[in-house]
Amino acid sequence: MTGPLLEFRPEQAKPLLQEVMERSGQMLTACYQCRRCAAGCTVADETGFFTPNILIRTVILGDRETALSNPLVWKCVSCYTCGTRCPNDIQTARITETLKKMAKEAHIAPLQPKVAAFHDSFLESGLRWGRVNEMEFMGVYEMKNIIREARARNYEAIVDELKTQAKLGMAMFRLKRMHAGFMTTKGRKEIKALYRKTRKKPGVSPRVNP
Amino acid sequence: MEIAYYPGCSLKQSSALYDIQSRRIFSELGVELKEIEDWNCCGATSAGKVDDFLAVAMPARNIGIAEAAGYREIVIPCSACYSRTLVAQQRLEGDARLKAEINGAFAKKMNGGLKISSILEVLLGRIAAGALEPKLKRKFRRLKPVCYYGCMQTRFPFTVPVPDDVENPQGMETVLGALGVKAIDWSHKTFCCGASAAVNDPETSLNLMGKIMKDALLRGANCFVATCPMCQLNLDAHQDAFCRRSGIEERLPVFFITEVVGAAMGISPEALQVDRHFIDGTTLLKELEGDER
Ligand code: SF4
Ligand code: SF4
Repeated sequence: MTGPLLEFRPEQAKPLLQEVMERSGQMLTACYQCRRCAAGCTVADETGFFTPNILIRTVILGDRETALSNPLVWKCVSCYTCGTRCPNDIQTARITETLKKMAKEAHIAPLQPKVAAFHDSFLESGLRWGRVNEMEFMGVYEMKNIIREARARNYEAIVDELKTQAKLGMAMFRLKRMHAGFMTTKGRKEIKALYRKTRKKPGVSPRVNP
Repeated sequence: MEIAYYPGCSLKQSSALYDIQSRRIFSELGVELKEIEDWNCCGATSAGKVDDFLAVAMPARNIGIAEAAGYREIVIPCSACYSRTLVAQQRLEGDARLKAEINGAFAKKMNGGLKISSILEVLLGRIAAGALEPKLKRKFRRLKPVCYYGCMQTRFPFTVPVPDDVENPQGMETVLGALGVKAIDWSHKTFCCGASAAVNDPETSLNLMGKIMKDALLRGANCFVATCPMCQLNLDAHQDAFCRRSGIEERLPVFFITEVVGAAMGISPEALQVDRHFIDGTTLLKELEGDER
């Protein structure tokens, strides 16, 4: 499959590569483009041109814009298939996870805003209460979607989304797979305090708000 | 025998049936699951995508609680919780500074050496010890399962010791074999079902599940058997949707391994709460109920 031309940006190449390698812990320079990762990527049918090896190439070329905003970064399901098959032990999922965080820090709108909202809401909920309460978490997640879509005046999208979720929610309720009680963990204060402390350290930027 | 038990958020809510089944089955096999006190969410798949520090710190607190209570082993049925906790432990073992920093903040400290087990490891251990054989009451004749492991049972983002084959695990097949059930071989046992994307990117996850379903049907399976609550809920709750999308007429029940083991022990599907599935599984298990050993 042919795809968009990646741009070589010599001035960005080194810092981008260095940042992604350090934060993901992956040796991108070891990649020799054998495409074993591409052959087995779970979401290959969904991402088209953007296979794991192409993503690595994008970073090496210094095309920061494309690296932070492409289908693989936002559709990767972190299944770790590519990484367990890579002859050079490169876990592309760690790279997509890193690029998601970098996109957020750079205030670049995520290609799939619902993906970002979902994982943010999940972790925030887990941190806020100590445990993820499925209903509260889904409520927070849907609020994020509604606010975003309302700003863009996509009222139809809001209605569609709520209809889908309500249908699933009703079925879950019928099967008693919805939990009415509310769970908290006393020790959540320990985690929050530790997190606040590490966030103050230089080089560690705030990423979630409990 | 007592071992520590981390249910995780889903076994306390949408997959509470799995919690009930696990306690019951292990108790019959001579293992009491002791839920660790005041555990917290492990961060699941989301933590790795949002904050690397929390991805280690959240499961670390639970490890400390289990160790401080004197346990040598903890069983974690949910694959996401199992994977995150195992990875956090592995990362802390290689990073003394991070470990000291995290330990400094938590009341219950980690020393190291806690064995983190999946539900399959504990089951296989009991089978090897001969605990299952005398408990078996029913024999299955019509069960033709495919074992579905999903992504997080054998594949990890860091090097951790995996107790099964990464690409072609056999743990579930071995458990079913001990019940006299021959699982069908297939190619999608570790293919990801996209559970973490089901809500936020349904196109992707519905397509992935369609592929899994097609292969299962092609091989002649009449049910799935799984160990992960995320996989079970995903393949069960969205089955109508992904089948319609992929033009599939058939529907297959998605059993927890504990339901099949429990039924073989003679526990009724109602007591196991199999009636809380989206795709009916009670009928298939009931049909088998009469099949005496
Ligand atoms: S499998 Fe590894 S070495 Fe081969 S192309 Fe993919 S990342 Fe590069
Ligand atoms: S981890 Fe992501 S990039 Fe790798 S195979 Fe899975 S979906 Fe593809």
